[in-house]
Amino acid sequence: MPPGRRNRLPALGGIVQAWPWVLLVLALVAVRLSKGAGFSDAYALLSRPFWPGSAQGEWLRSAEILNSQTRLSQLEGDNRRLRSLLKLQQGSPGLVSAPVISRQPGGWWQQLVIGSGELQGVGPGLTVIAPGGLIGRVASVTPSTATVALLTDPGSRVGVWVSRIQRHGLLTGIGTSRPVLRFLEKDPGVRPGDVVVTSPASTLVPPNLTVGVIQSVDERSVPATDAVVQLSAPLEAVDWVQVIVP
Amino acid sequence: MSQLTRHRWCLATALLVPWLVLASPGPLKLAGVPPAWAVLWLLPWALVDGPLSGALAGLGLGLVLDGLHLGPISEIPALALLGWWWGRLGRLGPPIERSFNLGLLALIGAALVGGSLILQSLLSGGWPLQPALHTWLAQTLLTAVLAPPLCSLQLLLWRRQTLGGRS
Repeated sequence: MPPGRRNRLPALGGIVQAWPWVLLVLALVAVRLSKGAGFSDAYALLSRPFWPGSAQGEWLRSAEILNSQTRLSQLEGDNRRLRSLLKLQQGSPGLVSAPVISRQPGGWWQQLVIGSGELQGVGPGLTVIAPGGLIGRVASVTPSTATVALLTDPGSRVGVWVSRIQRHGLLTGIGTSRPVLRFLEKDPGVRPGDVVVTSPASTLVPPNLTVGVIQSVDERSVPATDAVVQLSAPLEAVDWVQVIVP
Repeated sequence: MSQLTRHRWCLATALLVPWLVLASPGPLKLAGVPPAWAVLWLLPWALVDGPLSGALAGLGLGLVLDGLHLGPISEIPALALLGWWWGRLGRLGPPIERSFNLGLLALIGAALVGGSLILQSLLSGGWPLQPALHTWLAQTLLTAVLAPPLCSLQLLLWRRQTLGGRS
């Protein structure tokens, strides 16, 4: 030991002054080991006046009622839809029901592929209807599928009849979601909202099938009046169709 | 040719094209118009496997797709030509793998396919021009947008399969 240095021991007073900090550290260790005991309880005690009371309970109950009502209306809608599908599947004589297995109402070709074909008696040229009315005609068949050319297809031409004005016209697909009705004469008196059905004189489709309603009229079109038709069958949503077989 | 066809699973991926055409997934449409799935498959195939294989693949795809669609209008000429052209590009120059290049080639391809359809339609007196232009524009743009991620992935997978890959 070098001369001049003395062996110093920790002062007893220092240890006495540090004991609160030691206790604090020990308390924090206890909090850590007990997963927050004390802190959570203290928070609960302090926040008790602000806990959800009767008003909040009412809100919860009304939200639950709203949720139940929404679910009820959805289930009722599903029930109606499934019942209609069941009715569709049971079908009537002369109708073949088929699911839509591919839908291409946009793009270059406007067509549907349905899950019934030659084996079920479906053949080219047959009329295809859906909930809402006429949607097109069968263009080609395989043993178990058929391709339906929609009324919106550019190659589609169907004779139709506007009963209010007692006029014939030719419903022509133009590749958009709304086909064009070309009348045979100028100014036939048609107006938006008129119902369009298949022509009684048509040899391609059965008469008096609902097709759609007139959406707009172009009186300036030459040589005869044109009208845009909104189809009554929703092509984007239809999932089952019926093929009218002879 | 046909290093890829030795790996049958590579060839089997072509089945995805008609499947996607029929399924026509709604989220992958622009203004109701789907992309040119055949272009998105054919581009990496031809770049990896050469002009002859590309042309034959285009022919095969065109045959299948024409069978799925209505009318006499055919995609075969455009797809076969694109397969041959992209195959030459893949053989002659440095490997094409940048996203911009793939997107540009797909854009040209989709435009050519759509243009050939419009031309055939005009010659046969079929489609009105305005809806056809809408479809052509939407399909071309969407195909070009989808090409970089999809074609890059296919290029990566298929170049790994070919012993003579250029990457």
